[in-house]
Amino acid sequence: MFAGLGVSSFLAWKSIRRGNKGTLALTIMIIALIFVNLVFLPSIISGVVENFNTQSIDFDFGNLVVEPREGTQYIGNASDLQQTIERIPGIVGTSSRVTAGVTYFYRGRNAASTLYGITPEDERTVTRVADYMTEGEFLSNGDTDAIVMGAILAGVEEEAGGLPSLQGVEVGDSVEVAYPNGETRTYRVKGIFETQSFGVDTAAFVTNREMSEVLGLRDQASVILVKTEVNGREAEYKKELLSYGIQEEIWTFQEKTGGVIDQAIQSFNIINAISTLVSLIIAVVVIFIVIFINTVNRRRQIGILKAIGIDQQIIINSYVLQVLFITTVGALAGIALAAGVTTYLTAYPLVFPGGPVYPVVEASAVFRSIASLFAVSVVAGYIPAWQIVREDILTAIRG
Amino acid sequence: MIVAENLTRVYTMGRVEVRALGGVSLEVEKGEFVGIMGASGSGKSTLLHILGLLDRPTSGRVVIDGTDVLALSDHQRTLFRLNRLGYVFQDYALIDELTAQENVYLTSLVRGADKEEYLKRSAEILRRVGLGDRMDHRQSELSGGEQQRVAIARALVNNPSILLADEPCANLDSQTSKSILDLFARLNEELDQTIVMVSHEEWHKEYFCRIATLQDGLISDMTECRKA
Ligand SMILES: Nc1ncnc2c1ncn2[C@@H]1O[C@H](COP(=O)(O)OP(=O)(O)OP(=O)(O)O)[C@@H](O)[C@H]1O
Ligand SMILES: [Mg+2]
Repeated sequence: MFAGLGVSSFLAWKSIRRGNKGTLALTIMIIALIFVNLVFLPSIISGVVENFNTQSIDFDFGNLVVEPREGTQYIGNASDLQQTIERIPGIVGTSSRVTAGVTYFYRGRNAASTLYGITPEDERTVTRVADYMTEGEFLSNGDTDAIVMGAILAGVEEEAGGLPSLQGVEVGDSVEVAYPNGETRTYRVKGIFETQSFGVDTAAFVTNREMSEVLGLRDQASVILVKTEVNGREAEYKKELLSYGIQEEIWTFQEKTGGVIDQAIQSFNIINAISTLVSLIIAVVVIFIVIFINTVNRRRQIGILKAIGIDQQIIINSYVLQVLFITTVGALAGIALAAGVTTYLTAYPLVFPGGPVYPVVEASAVFRSIASLFAVSVVAGYIPAWQIVREDILTAIRG
Repeated sequence: MIVAENLTRVYTMGRVEVRALGGVSLEVEKGEFVGIMGASGSGKSTLLHILGLLDRPTSGRVVIDGTDVLALSDHQRTLFRLNRLGYVFQDYALIDELTAQENVYLTSLVRGADKEEYLKRSAEILRRVGLGDRMDHRQSELSGGEQQRVAIARALVNNPSILLADEPCANLDSQTSKSILDLFARLNEELDQTIVMVSHEEWHKEYFCRIATLQDGLISDMTECRKA
């Protein structure tokens, strides 16, 4: 058995070294390209999902969202609840927000959108809006007369689009805000931010202190956003929070975004499955053709090997080993090529709605691609070798 | 020892039947050097293919060293060829991807021989057929006669119980032919090597101890063994 394998690899190696180099290189290249194709699309899909998740966490929700229990509009004793949550291991910050639907007025124009009342220092521990200021600065705790505004809401002069836009607000301008309870206030624009996340870029922030005062609230919150140490373990943290007896409703950010991205991922996965299937079929056909031509060309040689007493299995194995070699080199070249493409797309990312998407190559996708390539290759290499090896010796030798 | 009884081989090509062998019986004792002669198309190669386990007769019986070789499975026949027989094809039949020496030691490799040993043995046998300086050449880099000598070396490398050679000198000049026949004769005398060789050259007859002449698929003449 082992002696047989030694002979198979001897024959395979001689055949690779002394066979047609051009065909060999071409086959390896095709395998490499198929590999890239197998890895590329999933990496972009992972990138989109990753991007969406990061955006959701960084700008919209944090990792967990605490909302008022059924039938109430606000969470009471918000600061106590914040303290309770912050004591739980693995929680790095909380931000209590008051949310209101308001109308903004600016130079005779108006726009209806959301206004958040936040404690700036708390907000910084959860979301990263403050890191995405394109003009001016984010709020400080004492900025009760100031507002920071999303880039879409601030808008560009003479261009409204379909989204709420004041068309050209700049830092230092004054904007009037009409609250739902009929109160109006004028704020100085302290900064403008752009996060690429619609929900946030169409909204604005004032301090919680200011908003509570206007709405007559005392230590109440529409929502408390919670940031955890690591992403991806939201469900565990949710359980943990529940175990601390928190009565409010707790959602993971996935639950908040659920529907939208799940549908998109499903569609992406169908596209990906089709692309994978096509790639693998191409791989089968190419390897099959190469090995088939290779074996047909060597009918005589195979006949001679059998005639001098070399077992069929040794001959078949030598072809399978050649295929394994080709696939291994092809996969390695493919990994190098995929790394090149990924590096390029990381430097020059594809831009999707919601921001640039960086390819995320998941080890599981790479392993799956390698495994399916090998499986496919072995089958595609085995069958033609097996067919030809079964031929009658003298017929094969006569060629 | 080979015992072949009443061998027939009929090729069916569509409606036409070609009777290549019409009932050939032949016994070859251990240590004999038998020549098979006859006109072109008389069935010499067909007979040798059957004795060499490369083909099965349409009917008849072949027993080699006590084994009914027709009863063996294809796999067992492959092993029998590997371990017992040496076969020289009419058209050399080398593996082009291998060098002369690799061609010669390939079967030793399959038999699990020691590397040092098969390298030494294959080099030695190539020198004996006069190719000591052609060991690393490939088929495409050898002349017809050189290829034939590599094929002879390959057939002899494992000291086969029986050497079957189908016109091994067909492409050699008379000088080289003579040296090959001398080699065969020496192996036959010194090592008691059994040899069945196909030929149509009259002057080869002096080397054979016994001559079977084929005509239209039948043995038309059989001489007595000179040696015994
Ligand atoms: N595969 C085949 N199909 C049909 N007929 C065949 C086949 N092989 C051999 N024959 C026929 O069988 C007969 C004997 O052929 P064989 O090759 O044994 O002759 P030979 O004595 O070796 O001739 P040569 O001296 O030319 O080599 C010939 O008539 C040949 O045409
Ligand atoms: Mg012949």
